[in-house]
Amino acid sequence: MLQIRWHSRAGQGAVTGAKALADVMARTGKYVQAYSVYGAEKRGAPMSAYDKIDDKPILDHSKWMIPNYVLVIDPSLVFQEEIVDNTTDDTVFIVTSHMDKEDLISMAKHLEGRKVFVVDAIKISQEEIGRAIPNTPMLGAFMKVSEIIPFEDFLVSIEDILSKFPRKIIDGNLRAIKRAYEEVK
Amino acid sequence: MATKYELKSKEIWDGNTAASHALRQAQVDVVAAYPITPSTPIVQNYASFLADGYVDGEFVMVESEHSAMSACVGAAAAGGRVATATSSQGYALMAEVLYQASGMRLPIVMTVVNRALASPLNIHGDHGDMYLGRDAGWIHLIANNPQEAYDMTLCAFKVAEDKSVRLPVTTNQDGFLVSHTAQVVEPLDDDTAYKFIGDYTPLNPMLDTSNPATYGAQTEEEWHFEFKASQHKALMESPAVIDEVFAEFEKLTGRKYNRVESYKLEDADIALVVMGSAYETAMVAVDRAREQGIKVGLVMPRSFRPFPYNEMAEKLKNIKAVAALDRSCPMGAMGALYNEVSGALSANGQAAIMTNYIYGLGGRDTTAEHILEVIKETNENAKAGKRVTDLQGFINLRGPKLSFN
Amino acid sequence: MATPKEMMTTWDSIQFGAVLPSFEDPKNKVRSKFNSFNYKVADWRVEKPVFNRNLCIDCDFCWVFCPDSCFEVEEVVNKRGKKQAKIVGINYDLCKGCGVCVEVCPTPIKSLLMFSEFVDNDDALKQWPKKEDKKD
Ligand code: SF4
Ligand code: SF4
Repeated sequence: MLQIRWHSRAGQGAVTGAKALADVMARTGKYVQAYSVYGAEKRGAPMSAYDKIDDKPILDHSKWMIPNYVLVIDPSLVFQEEIVDNTTDDTVFIVTSHMDKEDLISMAKHLEGRKVFVVDAIKISQEEIGRAIPNTPMLGAFMKVSEIIPFEDFLVSIEDILSKFPRKIIDGNLRAIKRAYEEVK
Repeated sequence: MATKYELKSKEIWDGNTAASHALRQAQVDVVAAYPITPSTPIVQNYASFLADGYVDGEFVMVESEHSAMSACVGAAAAGGRVATATSSQGYALMAEVLYQASGMRLPIVMTVVNRALASPLNIHGDHGDMYLGRDAGWIHLIANNPQEAYDMTLCAFKVAEDKSVRLPVTTNQDGFLVSHTAQVVEPLDDDTAYKFIGDYTPLNPMLDTSNPATYGAQTEEEWHFEFKASQHKALMESPAVIDEVFAEFEKLTGRKYNRVESYKLEDADIALVVMGSAYETAMVAVDRAREQGIKVGLVMPRSFRPFPYNEMAEKLKNIKAVAALDRSCPMGAMGALYNEVSGALSANGQAAIMTNYIYGLGGRDTTAEHILEVIKETNENAKAGKRVTDLQGFINLRGPKLSFN
Repeated sequence: MATPKEMMTTWDSIQFGAVLPSFEDPKNKVRSKFNSFNYKVADWRVEKPVFNRNLCIDCDFCWVFCPDSCFEVEEVVNKRGKKQAKIVGINYDLCKGCGVCVEVCPTPIKSLLMFSEFVDNDDALKQWPKKEDKKD
């Protein structure tokens, strides 16, 4: 089973991001679970969201997991040590930051020796979507790093999932996704 | 006419979305609600479906859950198909009117998202609210995942509205663990779903002004007892209808539901009784225990009320030790599942060793590992041929071991 | 009263009734870690509100509506001799940049406006819209 944990602040769209990823994967015939864990109910409070993806129905309803991927979509949460909780040496971290990888790891010591990828999803979303909603660019970065499905297929699914939004927003998101796909390092 | 909603054969829905689509497909006439976490999206979605023309109905926003259920009672007595949703404190505030609804034999459907009761304040899932409504004269159906939240809600209308039942029904799903967990759901298309439920046939509708009537009349000692006895009989005999509805549903969808669900019980020595999303987590634990050579199975009452006494006893007839897992703090007693199952066994002359575990209060995580521990303890009882573990234990509670004997 | 440290603990030493102290030291008004005041979400901010004292009429709407108690006030006596809360500034350690205060501010030219996090407050005040700007 592929397990993914998102770290975000309430309001940044991690829940929507996790659900969108589940939707994309379910379209390839996988079984999925997407859920989130809230702390204090306050916009801006740290929270986590989760994806489980498997070839058979997912029965385990406990929240606990050992993530294969940790996606951090808020730049400040990169510095919280909780992001490495329950991870292994193989866990891949994709984090949002304007810093480059070396500078970031020198400040966030808990990421030393880890598999870390960096993308400035906040800046990308601000520039392409017009709001700091870094969830869709993070999905673009995740597609690049994980190579879980062909990027073209992903774009088709995500455009359909976003289809309830106005064209301008869909285009902004698609641009943000493509940019993050290119820019993640 | 309501607009049809385009659905894919597989949707990614959380339990709330699933329940709200079932309400939409049932073309509920009136939803009166006072939204509360974690069931808010059910009524919110219904309201948007209505605003977008996908339902011909009426959404009544009220000032409290007491009023919500009161408005449901009014609308149902007037002759409409009626539904609402609630959780926790809202459920508690409805308590008085829940008894009114069932006493008046109004087939209201309430999609409950189970959440802990305060105090301390907690928005997460446990069965405190469901247990509070246990004696209210409603049928209570349990859903363990979003697919079942959808399926049970469709079935609920058909059970409630059957002319021999005419009782309100709740469908229960665990707060957040089901209500906010998106999974693959295979919905029916709108026409098939509506056809399954069927048109609503009102009984003594108050809007039939040529036939004025009173609902819930004052009865006192002359007839109160008879009313209550006949209401109880309807509940006790509703299993026949529930079975029929489940059979028809299976024919339509291939998904089979039973009043007592079981897993790997055929050759089992020991069994766990557990209800809600943890039933599925327990399946994972059972598979692991079997790898270690422990012959364990699971049972779950799909209908918590009417409680399937005889079917439960029948399922457990070769079992040596049973652990009943309750997701509610019993406060001075054994948990409800422990009591019901013990009663069912003793009524049938069976003598499996019974123990009780309390778990998951306020959404406390319960993993397959935790349940595996319970399985091992229960196996000790079976091997010893008598109870060697404590009568009531707590799963994943922080602090020194707490148990009662 | 138990101290905050003793609170989130095991069942055998938990405080009765989930009673949480608002203050660690009530006399000196030292807030406890359970006080939502100390639950900071300012890191999240990408835009900040800037306060323009010259336009403010001290209606205190912003103070009431701000979800994170950011507005700093001073007690003053107004012309009619009544006590009044005068808004003196925004505590950026608490502000999450939600913009609610700007939304509720009633003055014809807002006394609160959102600016990018990187704009200096003095520069922001220089860019403030004038009455003429509004007319066209
Ligand atoms: S932006 Fe939001 S948090 Fe900041 S001062 Fe205004 S209302 Fe308060
Ligand atoms: S809402 Fe505007 S006018 Fe009222 S006190 Fe705040 S800044 Fe001043």
